Amino acid sequence: MANIPPKKVEEDIIRQPYRWLEDRLPIISFIDNAVGRGYLAPKNLNYLWNFGSLAGIALVIQILTGLFLAMHYKADVNLAFDSVQHIMRDVQGGWLIRNLHMVGASFFFIVVYAHIARGLYYGSYKKPREVLWWFGIVIFLIMMATAFLGYVLPWGQMSFWGATVITNLLSVIPFIGDDVVIWLWGGYSVGDPTLTRFYALHFLLPFVIVGLVVIHIWALHMHGSNNPTGIDLKKKSEAIPFHPYYTIKDVFGLGVYLIPFCFMVFYLPEALGHTDNYIPADPMVTPAHIVPEWYFLPFYAILRAIPIKELGVVAMFGSILILFILPWLDRSPVRSARYRPWFRQMVYIFIASVFALGYLGSQPPEGIYVIMSQFFTAVYFGFFLLLPLVAKLETPKPLPKEIT
Amino acid sequence: MRFLLFSFIALLLAPAAFAGGAVEVEKHDWDFQGLPKEWDKDQLYRGYAVATQVCMTCHGMKYINHRQLMDVGFTEAEVKAMAAELNMSINDKLVSGLEPEDAKELYGKEVPDLSLINKARAGLADYTYAVLVGYSEDPDEIHHALPDGVPEGAYYNRAFPGHAIAMPSPLTGPDLVEYHDETEASIEQMAKDVTYFLQWTAEPELLERKKLGVYVLLYLLIFTVLAYLTKRAIWRDVH
Repeated sequence: MANIPPKKVEEDIIRQPYRWLEDRLPIISFIDNAVGRGYLAPKNLNYLWNFGSLAGIALVIQILTGLFLAMHYKADVNLAFDSVQHIMRDVQGGWLIRNLHMVGASFFFIVVYAHIARGLYYGSYKKPREVLWWFGIVIFLIMMATAFLGYVLPWGQMSFWGATVITNLLSVIPFIGDDVVIWLWGGYSVGDPTLTRFYALHFLLPFVIVGLVVIHIWALHMHGSNNPTGIDLKKKSEAIPFHPYYTIKDVFGLGVYLIPFCFMVFYLPEALGHTDNYIPADPMVTPAHIVPEWYFLPFYAILRAIPIKELGVVAMFGSILILFILPWLDRSPVRSARYRPWFRQMVYIFIASVFALGYLGSQPPEGIYVIMSQFFTAVYFGFFLLLPLVAKLETPKPLPKEIT
Repeated sequence: MRFLLFSFIALLLAPAAFAGGAVEVEKHDWDFQGLPKEWDKDQLYRGYAVATQVCMTCHGMKYINHRQLMDVGFTEAEVKAMAAELNMSINDKLVSGLEPEDAKELYGKEVPDLSLINKARAGLADYTYAVLVGYSEDPDEIHHALPDGVPEGAYYNRAFPGHAIAMPSPLTGPDLVEYHDETEASIEQMAKDVTYFLQWTAEPELLERKKLGVYVLLYLLIFTVLAYLTKRAIWRDVH
């Protein structure tokens, strides 16, 4: 047996606490390598790269505020609505915590949409970052589920009817659909069992997201951040340590983010919500228009654009699931839209179609709105379907030799 | 292209801002908009008089009791006297004497609680006011809005979506209540005062929220400027 030289282990916890800990659990160097001096990032990242860390912060804000709300909220159909008012009126600082959570959900989506759009524009989904991209989509899906569940909890009219409409979509599953919906509700309609389990899941899923975020960052570290040129780094001088360069840039970005966020929290907390949700849930009275939260509107528009319900549901879920195969639909070796004149226009049109669908999702499903929804649904999917062709036909601009 | 994109988005968002409301209600300048330091105690008192003497015949305000009025400038003695006038303790919630079942028999539907009414209708406070002053018996106007006539058991109202409301006009004429101050209790004045009161019942935290917001935003502004200067200093050697 070969001799293993005795490893020198730091014994002095008082004089060398850092080395002492490092020898036992290297957690500090782990963090330093993840988001500190040990992680080298391209030096040319623009401000669109701030949305990654902002999404992380938005998640933390939701978890912290949510925790305090959970201490006062009651998941019971007879108590839920009143318990929210109890938080708003009687709990010390309760209105602030709830407004932060409510507005925070919307701002989380704004940040994540910007983060996804940045990945799309600069080709961050391409080889070798496909798995990183996948985990991002999974996070997005679970985040949407969490937001949907959370909107049910105040037990207002939109909570109840939104939950009814959305859960009913699953009834299109062949053969077992109706049973799945009843199983999900825990009864024959949205009711107390539904509210209780939605609360349990709404509490659980954010922590699932935290776990997925760790995997997302792990995958990021395998090949490092993409950058606005989309080209791989060739020299060490092209990279800078994450700390202090990007930590301070993210702190500045955080300030820029918190100003509109807090403006909404303190001056327009209800602007993104629906007045009907201040009417207690009433299974006997259907609201005139059932509208989901704004961040679901583009997908809601796709759902309603297609006259056959089953196909509409498939299209709605497909509109997000198609992102999973995006790295294989777009076979162009050039990542960044900066050097892809056709793709660049397509991304702009795609983003415009998402905004258009968002607007159309807020309108009643009739007349010109339906036709426009169908048109923009076609544009939305057309973007993906044209990608293989564009990758073949497009002549990219010359790529820079190194990042600048 | 970018310009096109953003103008396109702006074009789409412009109508979205007005979407959703079935009936347009006139906007008013309310004292609680902007950054007032405190609730106008006199107006609250007037609104309270209308709310308790008129609205509470049928409606409740179940999240409100008299003790909470002490948060907006009423003394304990005043609050006790006000509660006693209604045969209530200061901890009793403001609920109507009308039982929900009786209300349903009278009006054919449940009578909504008013605590949150200013947050629960498109148009917010402006809507509450518009409904209160929106009754009319002018046959031309009614015929124009409801060519088939007003349905049985309903009343014409200009602001109510569909124009046929189950609630009979609550402010039937001036001087329904006697105000504690010199203010004349016209229909418009009573509607205005009770809307003001209902804003407080809907958002008792409103003024505290707006006040705190100023400090938070000032702090963030300074924080962000300092963060930017620090960022520039740290990045100096990179560019």
